[in-house]
Amino acid sequence: MNLKTGILLTLILLFGFKANAQNCNFSIRGKIVHLENNEPIEAAYVWVVEAEEGAVSDQNGNFTVKNLCSGTYTITIQYLGHKDIRDIVKIESNTFSKTYRLEDEAMELSGVEIHGHRDAVQTTTAVSSLYGENLLESRGENLGESLKRISGVSTFSTGNSIAKPVIHGMHSNRIMIMNNGIRLEGQQWGAEHAPEIDPFLADEITVIKGAETVRYGPEAMGGVILVNPAPLPTKKTSKTNLNFVGGTNGRMGNLNLAHVGGSDKIKGLGYRIQGSAKRSGNVKSPGYFQENTGVNELNLSTSLGYSSTKLGIEAYYSLFHSELGILKDSHTGNLSDLKDIIENGRPFADGEFSYDIVNPKQRVTHHLAKLKSHYHISESWKLNFQYGFQLNHRQEFDKRRGNLNKKASLDLELYTNTIDLYVNHTHKNELSGTWGISLIQQANTNVPGTGVTPLIPNYDMVNAGLYAMEKFSKGPLEVEAGVRYDFRNVSTARYINQELRTSDLAYQNLSAFIGGLYHISPDLTFNSNLGSAWRSPNVNELFSEGLHHGAAAVEIGDPDLESEKSLKWINELQYDGQKTHLEFTAYLNPIRDYIYLNPTGETYVSLRGTFNVYEYVQANAFFYGFDFAGSYQFTTKINGYLKGSIVQAKNIDNDSYFPFIPSNRMDWGVSYDFAKASDSRTNKITLSNVLVARQNREPDFDIAPAPPAYALFNLAYQKQLTLGENKLNLGLQVQNLFNTSYKDYMNRFRYFTYDMGRNVLLKINYEF
Amino acid sequence: MKTTNKLYLIALVLISFTILSCDSEDPVPENDGELITDVTLTFQEIDVNGDEVGEPFDFTASDTEGIEIGSTPEIETVMLAKGKTYQMSISVYNSVAGEDITEEISEESDEHQFYFLGSAFVGTPILTYEYDDEGGINLGLKGIVKVDQSPTLNNANMQILLRHALDKSYPGATNPTFTDYAQAGGESDLDITFPVVIE
Repeated sequence: MNLKTGILLTLILLFGFKANAQNCNFSIRGKIVHLENNEPIEAAYVWVVEAEEGAVSDQNGNFTVKNLCSGTYTITIQYLGHKDIRDIVKIESNTFSKTYRLEDEAMELSGVEIHGHRDAVQTTTAVSSLYGENLLESRGENLGESLKRISGVSTFSTGNSIAKPVIHGMHSNRIMIMNNGIRLEGQQWGAEHAPEIDPFLADEITVIKGAETVRYGPEAMGGVILVNPAPLPTKKTSKTNLNFVGGTNGRMGNLNLAHVGGSDKIKGLGYRIQGSAKRSGNVKSPGYFQENTGVNELNLSTSLGYSSTKLGIEAYYSLFHSELGILKDSHTGNLSDLKDIIENGRPFADGEFSYDIVNPKQRVTHHLAKLKSHYHISESWKLNFQYGFQLNHRQEFDKRRGNLNKKASLDLELYTNTIDLYVNHTHKNELSGTWGISLIQQANTNVPGTGVTPLIPNYDMVNAGLYAMEKFSKGPLEVEAGVRYDFRNVSTARYINQELRTSDLAYQNLSAFIGGLYHISPDLTFNSNLGSAWRSPNVNELFSEGLHHGAAAVEIGDPDLESEKSLKWINELQYDGQKTHLEFTAYLNPIRDYIYLNPTGETYVSLRGTFNVYEYVQANAFFYGFDFAGSYQFTTKINGYLKGSIVQAKNIDNDSYFPFIPSNRMDWGVSYDFAKASDSRTNKITLSNVLVARQNREPDFDIAPAPPAYALFNLAYQKQLTLGENKLNLGLQVQNLFNTSYKDYMNRFRYFTYDMGRNVLLKINYEF
Repeated sequence: MKTTNKLYLIALVLISFTILSCDSEDPVPENDGELITDVTLTFQEIDVNGDEVGEPFDFTASDTEGIEIGSTPEIETVMLAKGKTYQMSISVYNSVAGEDITEEISEESDEHQFYFLGSAFVGTPILTYEYDDEGGINLGLKGIVKVDQSPTLNNANMQILLRHALDKSYPGATNPTFTDYAQAGGESDLDITFPVVIE
């Protein structure tokens, strides 16, 4: 299906659901949210006094009272721990709908619980989340792999251990990853630089598919990934969560332990501590081992928070440490070596299993600390302050000679300070908004002594942003708009051939968005968002000058590159019925001055041999496509799901395609539930099938053609047991059930090897 | 909000920024340690008894600029005489870091091996090569080159490949003119083609 038919379908659905009005067939629709943070309230009680009709709000806070005649009614809304609302309304047509904001009165009533604060995503754009059972099933995978479960998200990977999430064809510096509210700042420009984040710290991972530069700052052009822990407890509690994941392929073991607690003595004081360790060895493709593909990971996160009615403070720290081997055969000496292995299609040797990690390898340590505080100035105004500190230390070791083997050939230290100061306001008169300033300061240093001319220079960057956005909600309609101004200064310094080269660059930009969400009926929602975004060229795009061993390429930057300017229009239709759930997303995304690495067709000849020469250039790009996800309950026992995505990325200037854009993909599955209807505990088996098409939209030049289409089958069994008051979740999964040999277009190592073969995983989760 | 509160906050932001902001370090020039800028082939004629005859002579290939687009290495033509036998030794040098890489290759002889390919070694070969390294290992820093008595051609190419991290026990890998060297794994540290003229 192409885009036009997609839009047409959207329109048909839109008009098809219009209800017709009759005299005594009116209804009152509404939405109930928390006054202080706009989060929906589930199970609030709504009563229409005159009609003696009632309703209870659903999980999205929506309610409907049907079969009302025209007239004036008194509505009362009640929810535990909140002030009652009494509203008098006049019903003359069927369009009545209103948002009610309930005020927390927790502190006035002693002994009533204070709910933990959590900033929900307050956006009208397309959002998908991974949580609960789905997140549990993804445990043991890295962030990129986990996110593949969301339609429209795929990965750009380097082997099996490095996976970068791709949203609608964009990755690296064009999307943003937030670790508990702080924008993750690593060396994300590199294709082989995985996000430095432990998915175990998350209780929910959310993907925003629209351009969200106004809210999150430049570079949030393709989308935002929010990795959020659960809110801290505000009352006395003690909960521990233990996860174990074991996998046969790579003989992987992954252990995670998390503990949350709340204080009895000090009301509102809570903490969390979490740590995980992962070890895996050489991965097996059908028929052989991929040598030097082990991973060692050690992660830690902890937070302490206090919240009262007026004040909230949270301190958070996370550590990510990983050491991972890079497939031995991917390190090629020159173009002739590269051609030899591409022709062979797989490593020359069969390899053997080992946990040892030797050069080439990466060692990355990422520290992130944040301090966040909010203060309720008044009933409707909230002041927020957030400070974040990050230190990213990345070392990459190459296969070298003698003592040089012990030295990293890339050794970068990146310090980032971020400050966000903003006010939220929410009013009973249906208007809410956020105004703020955001500052980023960054310093990048090449640690001397590598014996290699650094790929990117040392630099200092300062970015200041000023933004404001307002949302108007009235009944089923929410309209939102915002604007942001950013200023960025980058100064760089480096030596090339003993000669100091410096530069000072300044960029500024204005971005804006407008979006809306409309509840066509209680179970059907349509949203649309048009957002502009920009991204200044990254230092590697400006200043790269050197050899990229894996690609046998010399990559050359261009200091005169301009900022990329993008406009993304995204539309989503969501249907949440009794048995059916449907999500359909379509987008158009033109980008001016899109920066990409283009083969020049020239070669560079040295004593080492010949290399291809690539340079960073700009072209006008047009990205468009759609995602869909749906599920249907055939019987109480049998469920089915289907999801898929199509991305098109055209280079308009020369009517060709960009490299490394995901090919068409689809994923469907059927599950059978063994559990009795009375039993809420999971006990089901799922068979799923992933279908990935060949990338026929290939760029004019690639060192190897796109690999053929493939189909994979996976089997998963999930069972929940109760041991006393504790919960035990058991999962058994078989990935790549038939041990299929395949290559994925989005894996850079498709030049050197087939992907991973069959993997049997055991996942145990115990909550006590 | 009171003005004093506001001022306090702004001050707090500014102070924290000044204290916590850190600048990047000044860059330090790096000498590329991996770079090979000069490769010298030294030929010493020997007689049937292996005794040296006359003075040694050499031919070089050099690329002083390292990674720089547009420059090509300067490679001298190897001139050898018909029917003669030479001991050929290879020395490898990095002029940027001032390092003799020959020694490093010798120390890591278990991970390195030279292969000699090109038209001089195919068909009815003009040249034949045998490893002659100390300790009888297959490395190629030293070797014996024999020039055919009546060569079919008087000019040809000699491709010198230095393979790193290969499987030296791979079947056929002990042959110095092994054309399927790629099958033994590893990567090329050097790949130079010298023109050869037979006088």
